[in-house]
Amino acid sequence: MKLTLLLFVALLGNVFAEGSSKRVIDLDSEGHQWAFQPPVKHEAPTVSTNDWPRKPLDSFILAALEQKNLHPVRQATKAEWIRRATFDLIGLPPTPEECAAFEMDQDPNAFAKVIDRLLASPHYGERWGRYWLDVARYADDQGNSFLTPTPAAYLYRDWVVNAFNQDLPYNEFVRLQIAGDEIPGPATDYVARLAGLGFQGLGPQFRKGAAGEAKAKADELEDRVDTLTRGIMGLTVSCARCHDHKFDPIPTRDYYSLAAAYNGAEWPARMLASPDIVETHKKWGEQVEQQKAALKKWSEDQSAHLSRQMLLKTDTYALAACKVSVLRQQKLPLDEAAFAKQEGLDLYFLKRWAAVLDEAGDEPILKPLRDAATQTKALASVGTSEPMRQQAEALKNLATAAVAALTAIETPPADPSQKPPALTPEQDRLLTVLWKDAKAPCFIAENDRAGLLDEAQKKQLADLQTQLDTLSKNPPASGPVMPSIKGGGQPMQVFVRGNPENLGEPAPPGFLQVLSRRDPTSEGKPFTRLELANALVNPQNPLTARVFVNRVWHYHFGRGIVPTLSNFGKLGSPPTHPELLDTLAVQFMEAGWSVKWLHREIMLSATYQLSSAQDPGNLASDPGNVYLWRMTPRRLDIEAWRDALLSIAGRLDLQIGGPSIDQTTPGLKEVPGFDFFTRMNGMEADNPAGRRRTLYTVVSRYAPNATLTLFDFPEPNVTSDQRNVTTVPQQQLFVLNSPFMLEMSREFAKRLGQATPHDSERLQNAWQLAYGRPPTADEISLALEFLQAPADTAVGDQLNRWEQLAHALLASNELMFVP
Amino acid sequence: MKSPLHRQYLWEHLLEQASDERFFEKNAALFSRRAMLAKCFNGMGALGLAAAVGPRALGGEVAQAGPLMPKQPHFPARARRVIHLWMNGAPSQVDTFDPKPALEKYAGKRPESTVKLTTENATGGLMPSPFKFSKYGQSGMEISELFPEVAKYADDLCVIRSMQTDVPVHESSNWMMFTGSIQPTRPSYGSWLLYGLGSENENLPGFVVLGEQGQPVNGPSNWSSRFLPGIYQGCQVALPKEYNPREVIPYLQNAQLSPVSQRRELDLMQRLNALHMERRGAENAMNARIQSLEMAFNMESSAAEAFDTSGESAATLEAYGLTGPGADLVANSGDGGFKRATYARNCLLARRLVERGVRVVQIYCGKSQPWDHHSKNSESHRNHAAVVDRPIAALLGDLKQRGLLEDTLVLWGGEFGRTPTSQGDDGRDHNHHGFTVWMAGGGVRGGTIYGSTDEFGFKAEENPVHVHDLHATMLHLMGLDHEKLTYRYSGRDFRLTDVYGRVVNEIIS
Repeated sequence: MKLTLLLFVALLGNVFAEGSSKRVIDLDSEGHQWAFQPPVKHEAPTVSTNDWPRKPLDSFILAALEQKNLHPVRQATKAEWIRRATFDLIGLPPTPEECAAFEMDQDPNAFAKVIDRLLASPHYGERWGRYWLDVARYADDQGNSFLTPTPAAYLYRDWVVNAFNQDLPYNEFVRLQIAGDEIPGPATDYVARLAGLGFQGLGPQFRKGAAGEAKAKADELEDRVDTLTRGIMGLTVSCARCHDHKFDPIPTRDYYSLAAAYNGAEWPARMLASPDIVETHKKWGEQVEQQKAALKKWSEDQSAHLSRQMLLKTDTYALAACKVSVLRQQKLPLDEAAFAKQEGLDLYFLKRWAAVLDEAGDEPILKPLRDAATQTKALASVGTSEPMRQQAEALKNLATAAVAALTAIETPPADPSQKPPALTPEQDRLLTVLWKDAKAPCFIAENDRAGLLDEAQKKQLADLQTQLDTLSKNPPASGPVMPSIKGGGQPMQVFVRGNPENLGEPAPPGFLQVLSRRDPTSEGKPFTRLELANALVNPQNPLTARVFVNRVWHYHFGRGIVPTLSNFGKLGSPPTHPELLDTLAVQFMEAGWSVKWLHREIMLSATYQLSSAQDPGNLASDPGNVYLWRMTPRRLDIEAWRDALLSIAGRLDLQIGGPSIDQTTPGLKEVPGFDFFTRMNGMEADNPAGRRRTLYTVVSRYAPNATLTLFDFPEPNVTSDQRNVTTVPQQQLFVLNSPFMLEMSREFAKRLGQATPHDSERLQNAWQLAYGRPPTADEISLALEFLQAPADTAVGDQLNRWEQLAHALLASNELMFVP
Repeated sequence: MKSPLHRQYLWEHLLEQASDERFFEKNAALFSRRAMLAKCFNGMGALGLAAAVGPRALGGEVAQAGPLMPKQPHFPARARRVIHLWMNGAPSQVDTFDPKPALEKYAGKRPESTVKLTTENATGGLMPSPFKFSKYGQSGMEISELFPEVAKYADDLCVIRSMQTDVPVHESSNWMMFTGSIQPTRPSYGSWLLYGLGSENENLPGFVVLGEQGQPVNGPSNWSSRFLPGIYQGCQVALPKEYNPREVIPYLQNAQLSPVSQRRELDLMQRLNALHMERRGAENAMNARIQSLEMAFNMESSAAEAFDTSGESAATLEAYGLTGPGADLVANSGDGGFKRATYARNCLLARRLVERGVRVVQIYCGKSQPWDHHSKNSESHRNHAAVVDRPIAALLGDLKQRGLLEDTLVLWGGEFGRTPTSQGDDGRDHNHHGFTVWMAGGGVRGGTIYGSTDEFGFKAEENPVHVHDLHATMLHLMGLDHEKLTYRYSGRDFRLTDVYGRVVNEIIS
């Protein structure tokens, strides 16, 4: 009844919203929608088949089945169950030994023991971490028009994997990803505290520059809000960027209120290592900077000293420069270097003086000298003249006085009460014109400094440089550096129609109104990411626990209680078992947000133990198995399928964590234009690095891995709630013809052949390894018929019969579908 | 969303294939348990149908029965396929399809009205086109001497002279042209079309990208399906030096088994699958995969045939410019250029592919962006146009002669245009304020010019058409309402045209 009502409300909402262009959001009435009400625990309903339930959740399921006149099918066999549980929790097939041990174990706790073993496996986090990475739109690069790998993105991936392995409470898991850097208290482990920030730091960063800085930043903001709100709360808040949400009570203003938590944030790269290492590394960096500065200072001092000496020789240089000018004007041959040597002058400054004299200009300090030089040139004599001498002399005297005054100021006086007089404005000006100005005759450009040093100074410089090089080339131990987030919290104004160049009303920073009914007095205060994180995991937040419990449910049953995992709004589907969802959500929070608790609760249920057997009666009234009268057989995702193939073939490298693998196929890479097709990124078996679990394959926004894409791997630019399941011939071309599949077939056949020479024993092993069960009589005769058929003369076969049989087993439906 | 009725149709269609006698006959010798197998396939009928009409079949929003199955458009379509001739790098409108005599008069000057029109780089005064424009066809459409062959089809062309896009940057504008967004996060229009309409040939990819060796700017992100299912991704066909139609699609051939042995091995595989289903009962998803394996096997030969041009007549090859005068032409550009031989083959392949039911074919000229003429614009335009003119004209003629042009939409153009002002001595800069594309066939009004730029060809003035509008119009011609073609991904609805787009009804015949 309640369900029907909800459906009705949802439909009414749609009609209302679509039919009206001027929707007015009523937070009070719309806030009554089920998803905005805090979940409460419900008593398990009474059922007529009361020996069936094993866990409270079973009563909710059974009650709904009974109400619909459906009945649960038989239980799964132990072989079916352990295969399902193993794929579910660690994404790998059970070994024949594990199957046998479980089969033999008559302990009533046998099921619980298997679950505990799997939950304790480090491969559990690899499986469940990947589900979260779908939501977090994890990628190892940026989607630019050229390849832009993100440094050490894998640290976030490994952090997520580890969080699941450690059973980090989900509320902490969320808080660390949103605001790990703002959580008060000292961090003992920077990786644990900060690597989760990759949730935000690894998000798209768009091209700015001519393509528009404001637009790019606004789009980045939208990505952060979108990923956060759909991923954690199942709400499409980003729809409100341009207009009031058409279906949910989210006014445009709320988008900007919430986005404020990110506004002004940067995405700096942070070193993720122990505090010791980070601190030592930081100190070393400061030391390098200090030494660089000291070197610069030393070099400046040397050149300042030289410039001052030159100022004292103003007359000598001015007169010599005048000679150079005259010779030049008369187009007489002139070897400036020889001339400088002959006169005992420095060529560098001689040239500068000559340039100053040749240049026209009204600078009052230089003008008399320039005029005198011009007159001298007109005389066309040897290049000197009395007026010139007088002017040079006069300028030298002024310069000498200015230098003396400057030296006095810089020298600590013997009697502190006797403060030397400051430079006069005239002196100041003189020093600028003759020294400080880039065109001044005594100026030394930075690049020219080293060349003007004498031998002793040069040696000193070399020593200093060596010191610096030694320091900078020998950094202390450091850690990898990953993009993260810093800052944010700046209040925003609404962007009218989402356009950052068109600012509208101010949006008071804060959480969504429908969930917070925020205190009006808080308006205008910053809204930090930590406040945002706390609002998300507040036990009163009606969505966070429900949304996550529902995701876990989905991965165990192939369908969420709310099938639209990232949309709990009106456009989402209503829950099939609302009371069950609420009860589980509350219990989950009471269990300390423990994900492993949730797995146990679900997997020890009778519902999870259902077989995937068919039942015509049930099928007729519930063809989609919405009410869980059986387990729906599920196709393995690409990760579990590929890992299973490697595992069965005995070639899987189970090493955990570390940088993502980007290995291309050597052979095909040489074909131009083929490179992106065959960017199997470690998908090729002939490459030893390609035998790691699929989780460790590079996830690229720039050049998505073609095989992953073909098998419905999600798009890493946008948060993803569940995988598509498409079935197309191109997938089967991979199955039939790819070097990976053929290599796996050889390896599998080799593994079987090494164990025993007898066909019948090999067949037993093959079926146990591939399917966790012995072959049937039909299968044995089919296989033997195939193996023993007369050899043919077909040209070009490089796979023997056993390898072909192995290929057929690996390519089969039974391997691809979880029972 | 597909209606239950539609799903039922899809399922029956699938069953028809499953009960295709050839499926068993072909392999009768190996199917010693044929009766068992037949029972198995028949047995799944009732169950499969029931599941297929349920509210949600297994998995996501895509029906198991084949995401590439042809789907009904929203309304009767004028075009059923698209061929996009992408002049990557962006050709200049004032040198090709948008004559501007005023440029002569104001040569070297920068009239006030153009001062505020900034582009990526600083440009100087107006630079007249050296190319002579003449009137062609009954419509008297003016086309420059760069495209004498295409000009013969003037009465089939619908030239939009008032195109606009958001920014003067190649990357963003490529994404805008192909995905409707300046960020690389949305599905390409080809993927949307495939999602909306399916493909008419399940033995070929429904969306094919042809080009030269090397990638255009942005590479695969121009034809990515993004969050739409991966099968809607543009399939880029590799065209290495030694063109081999059997290698154009990944994993099309088995390098280690002869076809005979592969068939026998596949039969073993299918019999194992059949025994599996017999034991556990038929499942929709499992059946789909069994069918899909057969389709893949068929694809090995049928796809290779589609990409094999060796059966084309000498006259056809010469018409496309693959042989005869000009066959050895090369467009020289900084990034290696592109060859007539390849471009012509791509045009010919485009015809072969649409003929076989491929929904979308996109052809880029060459690696990077050959048409990006920041210097030596005139010289380079002459050289590049000479390479593509004949193959494009031949494609139009060929489609027309085969009656395909009627419902094939051909689109020609760059990601934006170029400035009428000069960059450096003799170049033209990017121009997003105004540019030209043309369409032919597929329900557009031939011999038409729509919209105009200002006096100098700088900015769209009369009837501006944004790329969003172009997309809305293309979808409309394909029978799809751009506001209704939505995809719900992780609970959020997306459209090709986002919140924009206007169907340009004026250019529809």
